[in-house]
Amino acid sequence: MNQKAHIKLIDTLWLVLIGLTLFSAYMAERAEPGFISVAIMAAVLTIKGRIIVDHFMELKSAHKLLRTLMRVYFYVIPTLIIIVALFPEQIARWTTLS
Amino acid sequence: MSAAVTQDVQTSFSFTTKAKNIPGNLAIWAAILSEMSEFAVMFMVYFLAKVHNPELFYEGPTHLNTTAGTANTLIMLTSSFFVVRAVMAVRHDQLKQAVHWLWGAVACGLLYLTIKYFEYQWNSAQGLDTETNIFYGVYYYVTFNHFLHVGWGSAGLIWVIYRIKTGIYTKTEHEGLINMALYWHMIDLAWITIFPLLYVIR
Repeated sequence: MNQKAHIKLIDTLWLVLIGLTLFSAYMAERAEPGFISVAIMAAVLTIKGRIIVDHFMELKSAHKLLRTLMRVYFYVIPTLIIIVALFPEQIARWTTLS
Repeated sequence: MSAAVTQDVQTSFSFTTKAKNIPGNLAIWAAILSEMSEFAVMFMVYFLAKVHNPELFYEGPTHLNTTAGTANTLIMLTSSFFVVRAVMAVRHDQLKQAVHWLWGAVACGLLYLTIKYFEYQWNSAQGLDTETNIFYGVYYYVTFNHFLHVGWGSAGLIWVIYRIKTGIYTKTEHEGLINMALYWHMIDLAWITIFPLLYVIR
């Protein structure tokens, strides 16, 4: 990729990140709390994480283990967000010492 | 060590890292993965505290300053963007432009710290502190930890600017800049995770 095309890509991705953040702020202020909004926020986190890991950190074409470790982080945390939203009582029971 | 041997060692090290296609060096990746693990532990604490205190974690975000959280997210993402542009500029031997981009990133870091300081003041005026309840305990523990990272990360960016201005980093030799850029992106990654957890999701 030449410099001009690379700059254009990075500029576009930055705008996408800004847009997703403003969308998140809108959700925080206006959206009805519930599973759907939690799932949307988890998806937004995955997208933002992938953009930064793949393009800003340039891991898209880097060493596979490193790329996988960093990408997995942004699948595991959003998955946990969803699991915690779906099964809070069960997790609370499993993690109660008694 | 003779110059030839030194050259051999350098070439060999450089070859190894390039062959494995790892941006920066292995030391910075050890640091980044350690820090990501540290933040992961904090996120686990958040999840466990949340399932045991659902009401507090439902109410908690509504009393935080969403505007400050959003502004700081925009600032962190923009600082990361500036750092990417700085690295691209150095690769194209545009060192003066690279320094400008990096000063932009430093300004973002300082602005982040300033907003966070006033956010803490604002919280305090609302009667919110570490003792209020477990949600705010987690909030302060995680965000202050991140605050420290932004602080020393900004100092690291200033160090990188100094290295460019003194001619130590060039178009062909700027591994330290790449390391710092990766570290800064890690700080950004931590924040984009913290923001939805503490300010958005209820």
